[in-house]
Amino acid sequence: MIKLLHTADWQIGKLFGQFEPDDAALLAEARFKAVERLASLATENRVDLMLVAGDVFDAQGVADKTIHRLFHSMAGFEGPWILLPGNHDSALAESVWTRALRLKAIPANVTVCLQPEPVLLESIGVAVLPAPLTQRHTHTDLTEWFAGAETSVGMLRVGLAHGSVQGILPEDIDSPNPIAPERAEQARLDYLALGDWHGTKQIDPRTWYSGTPETDRFRSNESGRALLVELSEPRAVPTVTPVATGQYRWHSEALALQVPSDVELALPKISAFGPADVVQLELSGQTDLDGYRRLCVAIEQARGNARSLLADLSALRLEPTAEDIDALKADGYLGEVIAELRASQDGADAEVAREALALLAGILDAQHAKAGGSL
Amino acid sequence: MRLSRIRIEQFKKFRQPIEIKDLEPGLNLFTGPNEAGKSTIVSAIRAAFFERHRSGSVDDLRPWGDTSASPTVELEFAIGDTHYRLLKSFLGKKRCELQIGTQRLDSAEAEDHLAELLGFRYAGRGASGSEHWGIPGLLWIQQGAGHDIRDSVTHAIDHLRTALNASLGEIASSGGDSVLATVEAARNELLTPSAGKPRGVYAEALDQEAALANAIRELDSEIAAYRQKVDTLAALRREHAADEAEKPWIGFREQERAAAEKLEAIGRVEETLATEKLRATQVDERIRLLHGQLETFGRQEKELETREAERESIRQRLEGATALVEEWQSKRAEAEQRHEAARETLRLARQADTRLSLTRELDAGRLKLKNAAEALARAETEQAAVVELKRQAAVTEIKLKDLELLRDQHRQIRETQIRLDTAATRLRFAIEDGRSIGIGAESVTSKGERLLLETTPLTLPGLGQLEIAPGGSDLSQLRAEAKELADRHETLLQRLGLPSLEAAEARYHTHTRQLADIKTADATLKALAPQGIEPLRTELAVQQARVQEIEKALSQLPPETPKAAKLPSVAEAETAEESGRQSLARINDSLHEARLAAGKEQTAFETATRELAAARAVVDDPQRPDRVAAANRDLVDARAEQSTLVARIEVLTRQLAEARPDILKQDIERFRLSAEQLEKRFNERRDQLMSLQVELQTTGAQGLEERRAELARDHAQIQRRVEELHRRADALDHLLKLLRDKRRALTQRLQAPLQKHLNRYLQLLFPAACLDIDENLSPGSLTRVGSNGSELGDFEDLSFGAREQMGIISRLAYAGLLRDAGRPTLIILDDALVHCDEERLAQMKRVLFDAATRHQILLFTCHPAKWRDLGVGARSLEAIRSGT
Repeated sequence: MIKLLHTADWQIGKLFGQFEPDDAALLAEARFKAVERLASLATENRVDLMLVAGDVFDAQGVADKTIHRLFHSMAGFEGPWILLPGNHDSALAESVWTRALRLKAIPANVTVCLQPEPVLLESIGVAVLPAPLTQRHTHTDLTEWFAGAETSVGMLRVGLAHGSVQGILPEDIDSPNPIAPERAEQARLDYLALGDWHGTKQIDPRTWYSGTPETDRFRSNESGRALLVELSEPRAVPTVTPVATGQYRWHSEALALQVPSDVELALPKISAFGPADVVQLELSGQTDLDGYRRLCVAIEQARGNARSLLADLSALRLEPTAEDIDALKADGYLGEVIAELRASQDGADAEVAREALALLAGILDAQHAKAGGSL
Repeated sequence: MRLSRIRIEQFKKFRQPIEIKDLEPGLNLFTGPNEAGKSTIVSAIRAAFFERHRSGSVDDLRPWGDTSASPTVELEFAIGDTHYRLLKSFLGKKRCELQIGTQRLDSAEAEDHLAELLGFRYAGRGASGSEHWGIPGLLWIQQGAGHDIRDSVTHAIDHLRTALNASLGEIASSGGDSVLATVEAARNELLTPSAGKPRGVYAEALDQEAALANAIRELDSEIAAYRQKVDTLAALRREHAADEAEKPWIGFREQERAAAEKLEAIGRVEETLATEKLRATQVDERIRLLHGQLETFGRQEKELETREAERESIRQRLEGATALVEEWQSKRAEAEQRHEAARETLRLARQADTRLSLTRELDAGRLKLKNAAEALARAETEQAAVVELKRQAAVTEIKLKDLELLRDQHRQIRETQIRLDTAATRLRFAIEDGRSIGIGAESVTSKGERLLLETTPLTLPGLGQLEIAPGGSDLSQLRAEAKELADRHETLLQRLGLPSLEAAEARYHTHTRQLADIKTADATLKALAPQGIEPLRTELAVQQARVQEIEKALSQLPPETPKAAKLPSVAEAETAEESGRQSLARINDSLHEARLAAGKEQTAFETATRELAAARAVVDDPQRPDRVAAANRDLVDARAEQSTLVARIEVLTRQLAEARPDILKQDIERFRLSAEQLEKRFNERRDQLMSLQVELQTTGAQGLEERRAELARDHAQIQRRVEELHRRADALDHLLKLLRDKRRALTQRLQAPLQKHLNRYLQLLFPAACLDIDENLSPGSLTRVGSNGSELGDFEDLSFGAREQMGIISRLAYAGLLRDAGRPTLIILDDALVHCDEERLAQMKRVLFDAATRHQILLFTCHPAKWRDLGVGARSLEAIRSGT
């Protein structure tokens, strides 16, 4: 029986500009950490072979130190690694791979498939059939040659490819780098390891997308995993076990606040985020000033708790209640200003009005706090 | 508040008490010259209220030099229905009493009550200053201070605000202004105060964003270039690998060699072809020569024929020309005849013409001759007549003197006769018929009378004689005289040869007539022959000679022919002759031409005849037939050889054409060049590949895309920051604007009651004008509608006069506001509005009159005339002092 760990889409060198610099640095760092974890996972599970199905690097033009760093991160597993160039790091005439070779950064146990030719691992009886991208995008199925590749009887045939399985991923119908959906069957593969799709996805019993080991976007379900694949013998159905590898959970929360109790429900949700959470929070609906204040406080606290939190309150309408206004002690023309801002949240300058209203409430709160403090 | 009585004693100008009673509830006008004490009254009222009675700082209230005086003021007034009486003495006897209705307050208690009531404060120590005066400070306008209102308002502002709030029943935002300040400060951190341009951190963030975006763009283009080069590298590598595997230049080299061999083979064919072509050229040349020979022979024969034909044609032309000459000759003869006839006719016509003119001349000459002869004859006759007349005249000549002497003699005779008669005896007789008597010798019968001058016998037949002797002595003298006269007369007559005077008279008459006749005859002669007879004779001779000449000419003319009648006129004959001559000349020309042509043809004909002979000589050469036959034979042989050669050349040419040696040469060149190019290209590409690889390695090591990712990350972060700041700036800006708007609106609403009072007075002064009130309730900018449209001016920028007017109007408005709030109002104007022009003053009077319907006004002036039309009686201070 052969055990292999299937992973893909490491996207090494990816940076996260949408977050605060510190968070962004940690998230970039996490990608190396994920590789380290994969290596230890492989070692722990006594894996025979590590398959990386493309997009190891996020770009061709990563710094030399990034290249070195990656290969160092892989040191935790001394077994064979088979790396496949994907669309982000395709095997161009001059590529990140040629640089890595020049830098002599690639350890002996790592094979980079720059050519579509079988990699025979006689010791473990596995023939890996890779379909490396040699251009940034192709519109032909690079796995076409798998069927015609003859391998010795008794060797396991494992395909390794990066692209879109046709007809499976609806939004990628015309996507480049197509892969025929029945390729595993047609090419008599025991397993077809795929990359490109960042979430784990099974296409058929022998064909899987492993997904990225560390989530890198909000819209990526079932990511942050690797696949532990067990192949008992040729033509046997593989046992595929998803293993969690991600450090961070990415959440995209859209909270619609309609009634005051919605705020009560939202607050624990916001407070529940912990250090492993990367959160995108969209608040809509309406709330009174008190609710808004509490939400703001909760969000500020969550920013401290969560790895990273992006909050968008632009769709949230402020509806100060009479008590709110009393509490603000906004008499005289301030009261009128508040009333007008509140009303113009419906108009063309809704966002400005809301922001202004929030600012005004903040200033008034601060003044009362100061006044209260000085008493 | 209504002041009804003022009493002042020992106070400044008034050492003696002065009392003003019965003050009007509205306007009260006090007049008096300078130093009359107007200001003293005002300062007494002020002191009564503003100064504590215990104050030690009021020495100036004393009359000058009177150190023991106790300045005293006593006032009576009403506020609402409550009657007040205030008595206040300073310095000497310090005292303060306030009677309110039935209640009485003393000292400080009274003073504090008043302060509360009127709205002012007391000075802590020292004299009261304007900062203590509050409402009265605003309404009691000191001399020359009407324009200076800001400070007064400031000192009264709390009361005014209270009045406003009380009237509005609303309070302004308690923390509003501090919020506004906070918002403004926060906004101005991000935006410039006036233009609203980003500043501070916002501007920095924007700059950073732009810088990063720019850097990303630059990096993008670098990356694109890098990618392009990578693609180029891949393409070059593919081509290089293909070339290395194929080595295509070797194939081209072989093709080049094969083409060269082919070219060599075809070169040999080309040589053979050249030889055959040379031979063919020679044969062609021979054929051409033979053809030439034969053609010469043929041409000679043809030449003969041509010559013959030509000679014949020339001959015919010659004949034609000759005939033409003859024709022209006959035409010329005809023309000559015609011309001759015309000339003859002309001659005859001219002759006839000459004859005719001579005949006419002759007739004319004869006529002239006849006339001359007649003239001469007449002249001669006349001349003869003249001579005869002259001769007769000479005969009958009688001198006028002789005639007159005769006449005189005759007259004397008659007179003498008459005297004789008178003296004589008159014998009258009447004799019977048949009887006679003699008187003297005379026998007389019948009746008669005789004068008897002498003794005359009378014979009476039958009876005898009687002698009658006349009496008187002188009769005989008279008879003697008469006898002498008769003798002289007779002698003269005899000398003259005339019988009587009558004859003399007749002769004289005849002579006179003859002289006239001579004159007439002379004139006639003169007319006939002005120059005398001789010229006439010459004329006659001339004419005679001329006639003879013409006659001679005529006689010399040939005899007249009978045709003469048919002759044309000379002009016609001349025209006919001219045309005949011209026609002849033309025919002569034509004839000449025809002759020349004929001559030319003759020459040509002769030449042609000679040439024909020559040509015939050539053709008739006896050796000629042999030469022709030999040439024909040679031509046949040459033609046979030529056709053989053509066939061979054709075969060779086709071979050559099919081989295309030119293209073969090009092929060789092409293959050679292709091979060279490919090899060169291969080598170049190898070099290019190496350099590109090195370049890409260098560039690749820079980690461009990672750098770009870093920049993009930083850019996204700064963009977010910009967005946040933008949102914040927008919100703050919006908030600030809104706060200001609302605040302004509120202020306006709060100030509305004051504005209402102000407008009421302002409209009287400046219709349609508007005076703003600023936040401190002071007059702000004044908007007036003038001839140039709306004018906006700040209160402080107005003229002194206008500021004073505005100041008073504002104070009246404040008074109105205070009155509405239930505060007592009393308005004192000390010598105000001295800088007003008449028109403005008139308006201000309306304002004051209007205000006086609501407030009591005390107006002090030193110009009573100016205020006469205020509607109230002026009270003179002098009159009040004197108690009248």
